[in-house]
Amino acid sequence: MEEKKKKQQSINPLETKNDPVLCISPAKVLVLHLICGLGLASGFWAAHYFYSINLVSNPAETLRLIWIVEASVVILLYSLFRLNPDKCSYSRAVVGALLGLPAGAIVNALGAIVLGAPVGLQHFRKTVHWSLLMSVFTLVPAASVFGSSWTDWHRIFAQTKPIGPVDYMICLPAHGAVIGAWFGAWPMPLDWERSWQYGTSQLWQSIVRSASRISNTNQSWGRSEELS
Amino acid sequence: MAAIWAFWKSDTWGGRSWAFMVFLSIMVLHSLAILLFTRGFLLTRTELSQYSQCSDVFESPCFPPYDQNVNNSNRARGCWTKPAVGRLVIILLDALRFDFVAPSTFYAVKKPWMDKLQVIHELASKHPSTARIFKAIADPPTTSLQRLKGLTTGGLPTFIDVGNSFGAPAIVEDNLIHQLVQNGKRVVMMGDDTWLQLFPHHFNVSYPFPSFNVKDLHTVDDGCIKNLLPTLYKEDWDVLIAHFLGVDHAGHIFGVDSSPMIEKLEQYNEILKKVVEVLESQSSPGDLHENTMLLVMGDHGQTLNGDHGGGSAEEVETSIFALSLKKPPTSAPAAFDNSTCQLDMQGRRICFSSIQQLDFAVTVSALLGLPFPFGSIGHVNSELFALAAGTWSLEKLAIHDRQSLSELDEWMQNYVNVLCINSWQVKKYIDVYSSLSLIGFSDKDLLHVSELYAQAQELWSLTSESSVVHENESSFTLPAVKRQLEAYSAFLASVASLARSNWTEFNLKLMGIGFCIMLFSLVLHAFSIKRLDNLCGHHSPSCGNSRNSFGMIFACIAVLTRACSFLSNSYILEEGRVASFLLATTAMLQLRCAIMKKMMLLEALLFVFLLPFLRISIELAQLKQAVSSLFLKMDPLRTPGINEDSQFWMSITQFVPILALVIVGYLLYKSIGCYSCHGILKYVIVGSLSNFMLIAIYWACNSDLLNLPMVLRGLKGNLIPRIIYAVGVVQVSFLSIVLLLVRETTVNLKESTVIKVLAVLSTWSSTIIVLSGKQGPLAVLALLIGGWCIIRLMRLEQNTENKYSGSSHFYALPVTQWSLLAVCMFFSTGHWCAFDGLRYAAAFIGFDEFNLIRQAILLTIDTFGFSHIFPIFGLPFLVACYYPLRQNKRLFSMQLCQVYLMYGLITAVSVTFTILCVTIQRRHLMVWGLFAPKFVFDVVGLVLADVMICLSSLYYIV
Repeated sequence: MEEKKKKQQSINPLETKNDPVLCISPAKVLVLHLICGLGLASGFWAAHYFYSINLVSNPAETLRLIWIVEASVVILLYSLFRLNPDKCSYSRAVVGALLGLPAGAIVNALGAIVLGAPVGLQHFRKTVHWSLLMSVFTLVPAASVFGSSWTDWHRIFAQTKPIGPVDYMICLPAHGAVIGAWFGAWPMPLDWERSWQYGTSQLWQSIVRSASRISNTNQSWGRSEELS
Repeated sequence: MAAIWAFWKSDTWGGRSWAFMVFLSIMVLHSLAILLFTRGFLLTRTELSQYSQCSDVFESPCFPPYDQNVNNSNRARGCWTKPAVGRLVIILLDALRFDFVAPSTFYAVKKPWMDKLQVIHELASKHPSTARIFKAIADPPTTSLQRLKGLTTGGLPTFIDVGNSFGAPAIVEDNLIHQLVQNGKRVVMMGDDTWLQLFPHHFNVSYPFPSFNVKDLHTVDDGCIKNLLPTLYKEDWDVLIAHFLGVDHAGHIFGVDSSPMIEKLEQYNEILKKVVEVLESQSSPGDLHENTMLLVMGDHGQTLNGDHGGGSAEEVETSIFALSLKKPPTSAPAAFDNSTCQLDMQGRRICFSSIQQLDFAVTVSALLGLPFPFGSIGHVNSELFALAAGTWSLEKLAIHDRQSLSELDEWMQNYVNVLCINSWQVKKYIDVYSSLSLIGFSDKDLLHVSELYAQAQELWSLTSESSVVHENESSFTLPAVKRQLEAYSAFLASVASLARSNWTEFNLKLMGIGFCIMLFSLVLHAFSIKRLDNLCGHHSPSCGNSRNSFGMIFACIAVLTRACSFLSNSYILEEGRVASFLLATTAMLQLRCAIMKKMMLLEALLFVFLLPFLRISIELAQLKQAVSSLFLKMDPLRTPGINEDSQFWMSITQFVPILALVIVGYLLYKSIGCYSCHGILKYVIVGSLSNFMLIAIYWACNSDLLNLPMVLRGLKGNLIPRIIYAVGVVQVSFLSIVLLLVRETTVNLKESTVIKVLAVLSTWSSTIIVLSGKQGPLAVLALLIGGWCIIRLMRLEQNTENKYSGSSHFYALPVTQWSLLAVCMFFSTGHWCAFDGLRYAAAFIGFDEFNLIRQAILLTIDTFGFSHIFPIFGLPFLVACYYPLRQNKRLFSMQLCQVYLMYGLITAVSVTFTILCVTIQRRHLMVWGLFAPKFVFDVVGLVLADVMICLSSLYYIV
C-alpha cells in the first residue's frame, strides 16, 4: 500500500508540471536509443575495420575509440532534451556535458578501484579509458540534460525515483551500465586463461544496457498508450 | 539437543544458560559433522621412520640368500635376495597412458596417438621371455609427487602423511633410493627436478631441469636426451633414472589428441631405439651391460584432456615395459603367465601382463638384491621377477649340479623364498604401524590378516622342515610349493586391500552422514534465529515487523554468492578478493543510501576508501602465494611496483607501524576516559596499554635504523614477547574472575557491555599484534575503522519513524559486512588457505626452541586472530552501540544472542558449501593441492568460531 501511494505521489508532479519538453513521444525515445546503440556498434565496427583492434587485443585503444564515438553521439543527442531550453542554450548543454565527462570518469574510476580494479601505472590507461566510457554511459546524459541541478541528480542517482520519460531515459541505461559492469566482473577470476574474460565487463554492460533500453522504450510506449 | 528442544518449546527467554546451551549444542553438532566427514574424506597415514637393514633378514623364518656364518663382506651376493640384475636403467615418461604403449589392436578403434612407440612392440614380440609390456595400475591420487613417493616407498601416500617433515617434501620414509644408496649402489638422475626435492642427498650425479613451466615441452626432455646416451657408456653408476616430462606437459596444454603429443611420442620412440641399441651392443658376456635391465615406465596416466590426479581408469592405467638384456637359457615358467596376447598391425604376437604400481618397489628391490623398503606393502610380481629368472637358475645349477631338480622347481623354490621374506616384511610393517600410528587399522581386519599370515607360516614350517629332513633330495614338491605361494599371495593381497581401503578410498557413507548433520545444524540455526525473532516480537511490538528489507535480501545474496563461489577452484584462489568485492558492493550501496538520506556521508566515504587498501594488501599476499603455488598465476604488474630497498621506504616501513600502534593505544586510552569503568576491567585495559609500549620498544630495538644505547640492547631477545604473553594470560584470568565473581549491578547495560568488549579485545590485541609483526597495528587500525563504519552506517537502516528496530532483518546486513570484513582481514594479513600460508615465523616470536603445543597455540592465534578472535569478541559492539538507554535487559540479551546466531550461521553456510565442494570435487586434479587445504582451514575456523561464540555468550549475555 505504501509503495503504491509513493508511486502516485511521484506521478503527480508530472501531471501538474505539464512541461512540453518532458512529454516526449515513444518514437523519439526509440530513435534516441537506436542511435546510441548504433553509435556503440559503429565504434566497435570502426575499431575492427579501420584499426583492426578489439577489446581483447588492445583494450585501451579500442575503449578510447568507442568512448570518443559514443560520447559525441550521446552528448549531441541528449543535449536536445535539456531540461529548460529557454534558459539554457544548446551549446551550453554540450559544454556542461563535456565538463561532466571527466568528472564522471573520476567517479567511475574510483568506484572501479574500490571494487577491485588494479592500481598501478601500467593499467592506468585502460582504467582511464574504461571510466571515460562508463562516464559516457552513466553521468554524461544526466549532465547534458540537467546541467548542474543537484536536486535532479540526487533524484535520479541516489533515490532512483525517475519522473517522466526523460528521467527514465537517463536513469535506466545508467543503472543498466553499472549493474552490467558489476556482473561483468564475475568471470574474471576463472582460470580459463581466456583474455576475453577481462572484456566481458563491456559485453555484460552492453547486454544489460540494451535490455534496460528496450524496457525503457516499452515503458514509454505503454505510457503514451495510457495517455491517449 | 534437549536444550534446543526446551528452548523451542518455551515461549520465554531462558537467559544466559539457555543461550549457552543453544550455542553449545550447535557446536557439538558441527564438531560431530566435521569429525565424521573428516574421517571419511581426509585419509591419513603415519610415516614411520624405521628403515630395513641388511641383517634383518636373519630374523625372518625364511632361508637367507647366504649363510650367516659365512663372511658377510661379500656384498655382491645380495642382501635379502640374490641379485638377478646388476644394473638398472629406468626411463620414466611422465603421464604415459597405457594405450601409448599397448598395440592398437587391443582397442576397438585405432586412435592417432596409438602405435607410436614401435620399438617397444618390436622388442616385446621378438623376445617374449626377456621383454614384456605390463599394464601398471597406479593408486590415486595420481599426481606426480605422490606417485614418485608411491613408486619408491612401495606404499600408498595419502594427503596427510603425518611425519617429521613439515612442509619440505623430502621423503623421510624408507624407500628404494635410500636402500640403493645404503647398499652401495650409485644412482644417477636426470630430468624432472622433483626428484631432487624428494631425495636431496641421494644421487651421485644429477642433471635436474626445472619442471615448473607447464608450457615448456622441451627443456627437461632435451636435457635428458643430452645426458642420457653419454651416461650409458659410463661405468660409474648402477642405477640410472631419466624422467621425461614432455608427454605430461603436452597433455596439459594441448590434450592427448594433438600433434605436439604425437611428435613427443615419436621423439621418445627414437630415443628408446637409440638406448636399446647402445644397451644391446654392450650386452655380450663381460661387457658393460651384460646384466642390465631396462624399465620404461609411466608414473600415472592422463585423461584425453591431459588431466590427472583422480582415480578414473584413464588416469590410473599406465605402463611398464621391462627388458632384460641377459638372455636366459630357457623361458620363464609358464605357470605364472597371466598375460593377454594379441596380434598387432604387422601380425606380430604381443602380450601384456598386469602389475600393481604398489609392487614396483619391492620387485625392483628383490631383483637388485636389496632389503625391501620398510613401509612397502607390495607383493613381488612373479612375471617381472621372472624376466631375470634364468640368471640365477644357472648359477644354482652349477653349484648343486643336481639334475633331478628341474629348472622350474628351482625357480619356484627361489620365488617362494622371496615371497616368504616379502610376507614377513609386510607383516612386520603392519604390526609396527598399528602399534605406532594414531589412527591404525581396525582390530577385526588386523585379526584376519594375522590369521592368514599364521596359516601361511604354518605351511612354510612344514615344507621347510621337510626340506631340511630331505637334505639330499628334491626339497619341494610342486603342489606343496603352489599351495605355499597361494597362501602368501592371499596374505599379501588382503594386506594390500586393507591398506587401500584405509588410505585411498573415500568413505562416502561417513562423508554423507557428516554432510547431512551439517545441513541439519544449518536448519536448526535458521530456525533458532526465526524463533528468537518471534520471541523478540513478543517483548517489543516495534521490532516484530517482518518486512523483507533490502538489507536482508542483499545479505542473503552476498552470503550465498560467496558460498557458491567455493564450488570453483578459481574462486577459492581469489577468495579474498571476492570477499572484498562483495564488501565493497555493500559499501557502495550504503554510500548511495547515505547520499539519498543525506546522513552518515563521512562514514560511508571512509568505509568505501578503506576497502582499496585492504584489497591491495590482499593482492600483496597473493604475490607471496604465487611464488610457491602451482595453481595461482599472479601478474606481478597488477600491484603497484614499490622499490622496497630504498632508504625512504625502509624508514617508512619502520615508522608507520609504530605510529599506528600509538594511534590504537591513544584510542584505547580515550575510550577508558569516556566510560567510567570499574576496578578490574580498568586494570586489564591499562595492562594492554603498557603492553603496547613494550611492543613499540621491542620493534625499536629490533630495527636497524636507530642506534640505540647499550642498555636497550639487552631487550632485543625474547624477553619482551614473553612478558607480553604472560600479561595476556594474566589479563584473561582477570577477565574470568570478573565473569565468575562480579555480578552485574550497573543499570547502564550499554556502557558495561562496551567496557567488557574493550577489555577482551585489548587483552587479545597485544598478543596478536606482536605475533603478526609490523603489519599488526595497521591491520588493527583497519579493523577498527571498518568496524566503526559498519556500526555507524547501521543508522541508515533504521526506520524512518526512528523507532528501534530489533529484528534479524535489521542486523542482517551489518553482520554480513562484519563477517566479510573478517574474511578480508584474514587474507590481507598475509594468510591464505594452504599450509604454506601459515606464518611459521610467527610461532617462534619469543621462543627459539620448538614445543609442539606452545608453538601450535601461537600459530593458531596468529592465523585466526584477525579473522576470528577480534570479529567475534567484538560483535556485541553492533548491539551495544545502538542499544537505547533504559530498555530492558532481556531484549538486550536476545539481540546479542541473535547477532551471534547470525554470525555463526554465516560461517556455517560457507563451511557447508566448502564441504559440498570437496565432496563433489574429490577426484579433481587440485583436490589435494587446493580444496583439501581450504577444507581444513574452514573446518578449523568453524570449530574455533563455535568455541568463541560459546565463550562470548557466557561472558556477554546477562
